[in-house]
Amino acid sequence: MRPRTIEEAAALLAGASAAGRRIRIGEDLVTDALDRVLEHEAGDLTCTVEAGIRLSALRGRLAAAGQRLSLDPPGDPTIGACVARRLSGPLSHRFGPPRDLVLGVTLVLGDGTVASSGGKVVKNVAGYDLGKLVCGSEGRLALIARVALRLHPLPAASTTVVVETDDPAGIVGELRRSSLQPSALDVLHPGRVALLFEGREEAVAAQVEAACALVDGAAADGAVWDEARERQARALGRLAFAPGELASVLASLDEAVVRPAAGVAYVATPVEAGSSPAALGLHRALKERLDPAAVLV
Amino acid sequence: MTLPGGFVDELVAAVGASHVVTEPEALATYECDGLTGWRALPACVVLPGSAEEVQAVVRLCARDRVPFVARGAGTGLSGGALPVAEGIVVSVARMKRILEIDLESERVVVEPGVANLDVTRAVATDGYFYAPDPSSQQVCTIGGNVAENSGGAHCLKHGFTVNHVTGAKVVLPDGELLELGGKAIDGDEGPDLLGVVIGSEGTLGIAVEVTLRIVRQPELVVTQLAAFRSIEHAGEAVSAIVASGILPSAMEIMDTLTIQAAEEAYRPGYPEGAGSVLLVELDGVAAQVDEDADAVDRLCRAAGAFEIRIARDAAERAVLWLGRKGAFAAMGRISPDYYVQDGVVPRTQLPAVLRRIDELSAAHGLRVGNVFHAGDGNLHPLVLYDAKVKGDYERAKALADEILTACVEAGGSLTGEHGIGVDKACAMPSMFSERDLEAFERVRRAFDPDGIANPGKVLPTPRLCGEVPGPYRPHPLERLGLAERF
Repeated sequence: MRPRTIEEAAALLAGASAAGRRIRIGEDLVTDALDRVLEHEAGDLTCTVEAGIRLSALRGRLAAAGQRLSLDPPGDPTIGACVARRLSGPLSHRFGPPRDLVLGVTLVLGDGTVASSGGKVVKNVAGYDLGKLVCGSEGRLALIARVALRLHPLPAASTTVVVETDDPAGIVGELRRSSLQPSALDVLHPGRVALLFEGREEAVAAQVEAACALVDGAAADGAVWDEARERQARALGRLAFAPGELASVLASLDEAVVRPAAGVAYVATPVEAGSSPAALGLHRALKERLDPAAVLV
Repeated sequence: MTLPGGFVDELVAAVGASHVVTEPEALATYECDGLTGWRALPACVVLPGSAEEVQAVVRLCARDRVPFVARGAGTGLSGGALPVAEGIVVSVARMKRILEIDLESERVVVEPGVANLDVTRAVATDGYFYAPDPSSQQVCTIGGNVAENSGGAHCLKHGFTVNHVTGAKVVLPDGELLELGGKAIDGDEGPDLLGVVIGSEGTLGIAVEVTLRIVRQPELVVTQLAAFRSIEHAGEAVSAIVASGILPSAMEIMDTLTIQAAEEAYRPGYPEGAGSVLLVELDGVAAQVDEDADAVDRLCRAAGAFEIRIARDAAERAVLWLGRKGAFAAMGRISPDYYVQDGVVPRTQLPAVLRRIDELSAAHGLRVGNVFHAGDGNLHPLVLYDAKVKGDYERAKALADEILTACVEAGGSLTGEHGIGVDKACAMPSMFSERDLEAFERVRRAFDPDGIANPGKVLPTPRLCGEVPGPYRPHPLERLGLAERF
């Protein structure tokens, strides 16, 4: 199934619901024909896209206007996949996970109901935020059909700093206590801390100089971020921890890519999902209400 | 309606006699929140002292299907904490302990009754602050902030409550305790329950413990106040600043009427002849802030600013902010009453919507003051009226409703930070289709099958809005065939 419009997608899901069929989004139903940029209002720093658009395609469109979506997960996923699977990359240090960039969504529920939430403005508290609810829903609550996104200006300058160290937690602590504001801060465990500074040229130069002096780093090319994303993509588990526990978390791991401020480590072994009985009960209740015929698997 | 027989005794057993309020005079304290036009006397108010006590109270409500309304400081502006006459109010006022300050993790764990500003006070000497800063931050509670997804003047750069809560313990409408997130950001597997609970206006449960992200104090804060002859010029300056790629922490505009009120109330001494003032605050690393401040100065002058003042320390900053922070209260100097809304429009639509507000103001014969978060398009039109004049309130409300309609038609929202509550529940069909509202209802029922958590708020009900809900108006994008519903 390859719907070209939201109406087609709704009809497909309604039909599957009536016939008792099961659909896995991304396999049985692909969204690559739902890939239009519906609106990009540069002056508002917002855009509205169909969820099948790939990040690379959107990136190209936005760059022409000097803007970007500050989301840089490994590979070239669709926006819908970024949201449904909570995919993010190094820039999440400053700009947050997908949930922080989604302003509104249009969903197709399992029974074909088309429903929207949020809007296209950056500030909005009207109604339930279904755009957040579907973050991490893995396509099992609804088809994410359309997404409104918050954008940022492309920085005038950006410079990477890499610190070689056998005490990354100490380095991260030093940086935390400083007034530096990197856009990205990754620990490539073992042995390295990578920083990305963005902004106006002189301000970036000043931050790079201050960072190098503070933690004995050196300016480097951006290849380290590709490496961080590749290692993140290869990881089999995502470990959440209290950021203050960084030292002991690193001590327990042979290798990992770590986003220390968020308290997230991408690790080599699977991590048991630890949802509580109350959370699992709510996942079930939401599934029953939003996808009553259990079409989406 | 009275509560089931013996219900109050069971509440007393759960939280102690001194924390159950039933006398009508004492109950009157709770009859409204900051939206004082709506009042209802609850059957009873309970003040639990712990998460376990909240659970015990909610379990009793669930067993007997007694509606409950959670309440923080009662400063909300949309009637979200308006009691239900046949139900109880669960006040978190006694739950005001800061449970943990974890500087290494940059997190603070609090009970829901802790005042917003007390979080910043607890970590300020260590060089941190809690970023969301609603104007009632001296008294409003974190529990209320979670319910409303509160913003504030500085959320333009720093984000809203939802961007600063990493974990919460929530008592669900059946009394079960739901633990969400923790100290990691976005740490849970599965759908983002925390993200939907925050901003749900007390309809999905009661937060009993909240983990907050704190932010390092910036190296430098610079505030600029630019005076313009007209609000159009101030608006142009805002567009130019955004277009240049600068992200200020706050951008606020006041119009002639609010400047006049502020001068009468506080004498902030704004530049003579200012038809509008624009406040721009920048924070961050010093080198960046300095460069940005120069650019802001240049852009404001190019847009027609005839005087620019600059503040580089807290004392100077307080002077520049004086008129803005007190703008609502100052309205009392020029009008007996005012009605405030907080519609949002895309930034680029600000000039058109401000013109529309002028037209509506003239058509209704009521003055409207405009003081707003210009950077994120969040308007706060203050409709001035005199409650003693017959029909004046109704005219003010009608004018305010038309302003909201103009916001929604411009592609915006009914509310940027005050919430829907009871105030705007009946306006929801102007922004959302029946299917959208049905989806919201499904989410609500998943959390609260019996509908006992803050009933009558957020979603329109026949009882509240009349049997026929307001007409569904297509969104402009939808009419253009660009989008269905947003």
